[in-house]
Amino acid sequence: MIVSDVMTTRLITVVPDDTLSHAANLLRQYQFHHLPVVRTAPPFGSVYTGQGKHPVLEGLLTSQDIDMAAAVGTSSSDILRQPWGERRVLEVMHRATMRVTPTTSVAAAAQILVERGLNCLPVVEYERPEQAPAGEQDDMLSQPLLVGLLTRSDLLMALARALGAFEPGMQLSIPLPLGDLTPLAKTLALAAELHIQVRSVLAAPLEGKVPLSATVRLGTIYPAPLLVRLQEEHIDYAYGEAQ
Amino acid sequence: MRMGRRSKMSNTSGKAPARARLIFHPDELHYNFGAEHPLQPARIAALMDLLEQCDLWHPKDDALALPLRSATIEELNLVHSAKYIAAVQELSKGEPLGKEQQQRRSQLALTYGFADGDTPVLPGMHDVTASIAGGSLVGLSAVMGLPEGGAFATGDERPLHVFHPAGGLHHAWADRASGFCVYNDIAIAIAHALRASESKILYIDFDAHHGDGVQRAFYDEPRVMTVSLHETGRYLFPGTGDVLELGNGTGRGYSINVPLEPFTEDDSYIEAIESLLTPLVISFAPDVIVTQHGCDTHAWDPLTHLSLTMRGIEAQIKLAHSLAHTYCQGRWLALGGGGYDLYRVVPRAWSMVWAEMSEQELPAALPDAWVERWRPAWQAIEQQEQAEQEVMGKSATASVFPLLFRDRPEDFPAQPRRWSISNVNRHTVALARHLLVPPSVRQAFPAARHHSPLAGLFDLLHMQGTATPSRSKTIETPKGALLLRDFCPPSLIERLTADTGLHAFARLPERELQLLMGIARRPDCALTIAHTPEGVIVGEVTLAPGDEWWEGLENVYEVAIEVSSNWRGLGVARQLLSFALELDALEDIILFALGLSWHWDVDGLGISVFQYREMIARLFATQGFAEYPTTEPNVSLEPANILLARIGKRVDSRVASQFLNRLLSSPNLSRL
Repeated sequence: MIVSDVMTTRLITVVPDDTLSHAANLLRQYQFHHLPVVRTAPPFGSVYTGQGKHPVLEGLLTSQDIDMAAAVGTSSSDILRQPWGERRVLEVMHRATMRVTPTTSVAAAAQILVERGLNCLPVVEYERPEQAPAGEQDDMLSQPLLVGLLTRSDLLMALARALGAFEPGMQLSIPLPLGDLTPLAKTLALAAELHIQVRSVLAAPLEGKVPLSATVRLGTIYPAPLLVRLQEEHIDYAYGEAQ
Repeated sequence: MRMGRRSKMSNTSGKAPARARLIFHPDELHYNFGAEHPLQPARIAALMDLLEQCDLWHPKDDALALPLRSATIEELNLVHSAKYIAAVQELSKGEPLGKEQQQRRSQLALTYGFADGDTPVLPGMHDVTASIAGGSLVGLSAVMGLPEGGAFATGDERPLHVFHPAGGLHHAWADRASGFCVYNDIAIAIAHALRASESKILYIDFDAHHGDGVQRAFYDEPRVMTVSLHETGRYLFPGTGDVLELGNGTGRGYSINVPLEPFTEDDSYIEAIESLLTPLVISFAPDVIVTQHGCDTHAWDPLTHLSLTMRGIEAQIKLAHSLAHTYCQGRWLALGGGGYDLYRVVPRAWSMVWAEMSEQELPAALPDAWVERWRPAWQAIEQQEQAEQEVMGKSATASVFPLLFRDRPEDFPAQPRRWSISNVNRHTVALARHLLVPPSVRQAFPAARHHSPLAGLFDLLHMQGTATPSRSKTIETPKGALLLRDFCPPSLIERLTADTGLHAFARLPERELQLLMGIARRPDCALTIAHTPEGVIVGEVTLAPGDEWWEGLENVYEVAIEVSSNWRGLGVARQLLSFALELDALEDIILFALGLSWHWDVDGLGISVFQYREMIARLFATQGFAEYPTTEPNVSLEPANILLARIGKRVDSRVASQFLNRLLSSPNLSRL
């Protein structure tokens, strides 16, 4: 699974020249904690739908940054006479944020989020400006275009979806003695034969060992015909708690 | 006195005939997915035969039947997307000729949920399911007095109850067929009633599978409360239906789910429905009740693990009937639903629905002729049914054809883990009550307490031995004098009326009064009220032992306060609270109050929830309450919610620290 499969593409953004009070209002209105800062505002309001040309990413503003600015603003420091709400996004945003690309694997993105203690990663594509003079170094000129945002919530939703939780279905466990996948393969073949849709299959090894059981979610209200076939084929299964 | 057969008895008994009708049309028997499919229309045929043979219903009797009509495309479109309806119509046509058409049909079937074995493409399915949807729509309109329900000569002929056994297809989604259901007749009927009238509708789903389609259709609709009691979705289809699916946006708090453990038996089930449904009906105050009586909850059913007998199913039907009469002026639509023990369970269960609804006595035994006709049908599938029960992991039950309407207990051996199953169910219900039932309603309808904490709250709170049973005090307000009374006896409440602005918990002032009666009758609750010299109650403070969440803690009491919206801003709340807490034992107990933003009348006051929160905190602070952070599930659901507590000075430090620990622990949620 790669980042573009799970990222959010409908984005609420601010531009560097917006005030912090505007940003705070957006965060409150939409109830989240991160605002990507882009060079030019989208045509209507501050919502990018993911269609059309992608904006250039300038930085990231978090609710924490605003809290911090507000806290500093209330102290009687000489340099900051200006009320916090009138300060510009440009002054407090992070420019050097970690970024990922749409093709980054979800596992790598998850690792970055956890190891760096982040909640959100902008997803960018690099594009060289058309008028780029030849011979200049590429990485000086490539601009990050914002194509999406990957948050912890996106990963959690991806996990739930991968487990088949958003589709109606029932759950069956298949023991895999010594990690032998044959019972799982036979079960899936039988499900296909009986026209039962498979919502998800989970057979992950635990700590470097072989998987000892598989969890299969099946899109059926009537599993009995499949269970009868499993018994005939001597495939063990668990459906619900044993009595 | 119960009614005998309607036509014979109506003149002699002196009681008006039950205004009940049954919707059935032979075309509904065409909802048939083939011989191998578990849902067989023969179950409806067996039911109708049983009703006729028991002399409970006759197709020719116009006073007992209600004709159905098909739902129009426009009505189906209230719930289903136009693309889905078009696809169903396309798939309903006979077998196509060309290969291209074949491919297109397979694609449609895949997109709209017909590709698997559950809900296969059925020729003519649009017509038959549209007429089932129409039946439920007509039924609901009839009990609600809407024009679509048909014309009746006099108001008395309009039915109060309607039963539509072929309805109840609760799994269908807006754009997908699922779990044997094509069009969601329940959601269509409810959506029609919503647009045709200003009303609130309570839907109770007794099917063993979660009523996901209906819940989805009204997940953010506060005018429809969906309640589903089902086997937990941990393993069973459709997998949803967790307690924490509460509704979304303005619909928060209007989706109620009670996932029961596999192998739940009658006693635990009855305890669950009794402790949950009445408080929910009171707090929602619906205009009509729609029930889905899927009887796949029965121990003999081959598709689920619930282990009820007819006793549990009968309790469920009687409760629905009494709730409709007590709280909805009798308006009740009952529907069929799941039920896959076609001959042994479905006909008996749904005859019970009709007999209860039409107030006719069921005979004890099934008619011999009926048994002779349908037993062979069961015998033909007996082997298969046993095999299916076995692969589902159900313990073997008696393989007998019932001869009585009610089950014989000896045919149903006790489940080995009965105690732990009941215990988990009790926790689930406690959590649902805790999350969804307002405090004073909960106090008036307590769940059965297993170790009753005290004899009487009055004695406990008056350790000095006061002579007068109840104190009173007069206060002056800008709107006139008010009398405050504490420890109100029921006899006092009976003589008073509730102010029109008193509806925070039970929605209607007269219900609020009944609620106060309930609290006054309970020896372990204390009720303090403020009333005018004319006898109109304008505010109340209730004091009751902490609910299931606080189980095991001593001396912990929940305080709830309400002041009529007509008497706000006059300082009534402060004086009433102060008066109610003038207790000898005040320093010996722990008091707490929950402020839950969904009960707050923020619109009436024109303030934000956070301002309201401040107001409550200030009010309780005058009595020495302080705010405590907590993981209590209700409070932590919404940032505006608040828990205020007052720990008395003489409270044992061990008890106080137990209380503080409980605030931050989550014993009941740890299971989820």
